[in-house]
Amino acid sequence: MNWGRVGSAPFFEIFSLRTEGTYLNHRKRESFRQFMNKESTAGFVFSLPFTIGFFVFMVVPMGLSLFYSFCDYNILAPPVFVGAKNYIKMFTDDVIFLKTIGVTFYFALVSVPLRLVFALMVALILYKTTRITGFYRAAYYLPSIIGGSVAVAILWKRMFATDGVVNQLLRLSGVNSSFPWLGNVNTAIWTLIILAVWQFGSSMLIFLSSLKQIPVTLYEAARVDGAGKVSQFFRITLPLLTPTIFFNLVMQMINGFLAFTQCFIITQGKPLNSTLFYTVYMYQQSFEFYNTGYGAALAWVMLAIIGFITMILFATKRFWVYTGGV
Amino acid sequence: MKKRMALLMTGVLAVASLAGCGGSKTSATTAAPETTKETQTTAAAKQDGGKLTMSWWGNQVRNERTQAALDLYAEKNPGITIEGQFSEWSDYWNKLATSAAGQSIPDIVQMDYMYIDQYVKNDLLVDLKPYIDDKTLDVSNITENTMATGTVEGGVYAICAGINSPAMMYNKTLLDQNGITVKDYLTIDEFEELCRQIYKKTGYKTSIVYGTAQTYLDYFMRAYDVVLFGDKKMGGTKESYIPFFEMYTRGLKEGWLIDPGVFAEISVGSVEQDPMVYGSSPDTMSWCAFANSNQLTAIQKAAPEGVTVGMTTWPSPDPKKSGYLKSSQFFSIGAHTKNAEEAVKVLNFLVNSSDANNILLGERGVPASSKIAEELSPKMDPINQEIIRYINEVITPNSSPINPPQPDGASEVFNLLNQVQEQLCYGAYDAATAAEEFYNGANKIMSQK
Repeated sequence: MNWGRVGSAPFFEIFSLRTEGTYLNHRKRESFRQFMNKESTAGFVFSLPFTIGFFVFMVVPMGLSLFYSFCDYNILAPPVFVGAKNYIKMFTDDVIFLKTIGVTFYFALVSVPLRLVFALMVALILYKTTRITGFYRAAYYLPSIIGGSVAVAILWKRMFATDGVVNQLLRLSGVNSSFPWLGNVNTAIWTLIILAVWQFGSSMLIFLSSLKQIPVTLYEAARVDGAGKVSQFFRITLPLLTPTIFFNLVMQMINGFLAFTQCFIITQGKPLNSTLFYTVYMYQQSFEFYNTGYGAALAWVMLAIIGFITMILFATKRFWVYTGGV
Repeated sequence: MKKRMALLMTGVLAVASLAGCGGSKTSATTAAPETTKETQTTAAAKQDGGKLTMSWWGNQVRNERTQAALDLYAEKNPGITIEGQFSEWSDYWNKLATSAAGQSIPDIVQMDYMYIDQYVKNDLLVDLKPYIDDKTLDVSNITENTMATGTVEGGVYAICAGINSPAMMYNKTLLDQNGITVKDYLTIDEFEELCRQIYKKTGYKTSIVYGTAQTYLDYFMRAYDVVLFGDKKMGGTKESYIPFFEMYTRGLKEGWLIDPGVFAEISVGSVEQDPMVYGSSPDTMSWCAFANSNQLTAIQKAAPEGVTVGMTTWPSPDPKKSGYLKSSQFFSIGAHTKNAEEAVKVLNFLVNSSDANNILLGERGVPASSKIAEELSPKMDPINQEIIRYINEVITPNSSPINPPQPDGASEVFNLLNQVQEQLCYGAYDAATAAEEFYNGANKIMSQK
């Protein structure tokens, strides 16, 4: 639909007559009309909400945060420029920083591959279209929609409590368990990992759609040649899926490093900082200790880390990702 | 000209398309006068400052009562509206800091002793002295000691919203059933003996301020004449902190201290989830809770049916030396207010008006004005009567002025304290290591401020 044309008829005529009012402006009005009817004008107008939002809520705050990262800034008082002090402190004088790096890497590097394996497995199961596959797909996708929410985080916290569902199920199956999953240094992080793995839906959908693009003829040919299901999977499905796996890996890795809600709601970094995610530490520094300059510096280091990881992933691409045609 | 027209048109087009989305012409025409009216009133309000905001943290009871009191003020003073903004404790300080940075701190601010110093030093609160001098704000019924808690560097920046004092709540029903009595002014030795006895008889454990140790450490150290914060350093020596941590190690060794894992499952600091009232077995529950006197109502409400909650002093090496009265919270005036005069009047209303306090009913603690406190006392329920008795009879005769407000960096030091406590309770540190880690780490944080 051409909005310029629709709107331009009587409404704009009145408008321009009122402001200019004379016959001299007739020509001007013509050229204005032409301007309004240009495709590019419509394009600019429609992208305006996003463009304004992008600048006001992304570019400007990012620039500010870069500036703050070189300042002593506590929100209440104006920032004072201190050079690279925050960055130096981070790498030389902050054990918790190093600890959170460790925790975050552990979380991302364990939960992301697990999630992808899971997603692929479920995608393979749901590959065959029957009458109820639609239902199953929706059902498996559901955790991805609600999984990042506060409500699920609280639910998770209750599930893994000493008197929670997990321990009660264990008791039903004969193990007398009152294990404090969240209170133990070794298991607490795993409750977060499991929650992350459970949200495999979006990767699963992407896997599903690319599974469908693998031509059936390949499998037929393989069957004729006597290949079993297993070697079909490893020789046809997997290689042809590598571009999708790569895409999922990059996207999920970035998400993994930026995980926040789970830690913030469920564990708050407890016990002994064994589950303290980088982003939560950043939040604590910025808003709880009012070291906002330092928090901003932490954010920029995270950006560098994610950039670096993504770069490495892209560098390894040519070794394992199949980019040829089918 | 062409460009300007284009801009204008773009705006009109956006409006037109929005109206188009609405699907009817009438919606666009009716919306217009409404918006103009609104902008007019806000413009008018900006001129005469008739629209005030007040922010506070707290609970549902407080939200309802405070808003009702504010509405009453608005009713009595036509042309004034007061908007209440409330949030949870932790969100409150994020929000307040951001609004302060945006030069729009609310007109009336609920303030805490922990933050007052920082806010005053950054010129975010109004000095109330001139208003006290010209009698806009009446403080004649507030004691000097109470006024002192809101005084920073000679200026009065905050008025006490309610008086309370640290208080240990305990499960009276449980102890009565087992023939155990608790007396006031427990020393640490007596307290530990009690913990041992209760653990042996009932299986109930003891929880000692896990994750929120700051106030208790402050209280504890007062017995040794050590003030936590000095000028850019910590008070005392690292040895002075050992007895505090030793209490935990003894509790762990003897088994009566609650397992730290319990706290991973609850929201630390939430009354409703305190191990004293929350939990399914004595093993994960505590017979006592370290709280403040005005929280008795909330804890009694959260306690299981049939459980009566008792209240006594926090244990300390020298409880009479440790004890103090404090303002549970303050009312301050934000520096960005457009109508400080009116805001002070509202503050005066909240502190001195019987009508307002009949609504507020001492939810923030015993009213600072002795006149109001007296007026209110017969109207109060037994729990609030008990709180008043505790303040007047147990604490007031045996207390000394509170320590100065905590300086910048305190919240980081407190975080360190709770981390050290965690290490201690998980058995990674002994008491001496904990004291050393805390003292050195805290000194380092303070030296950088």
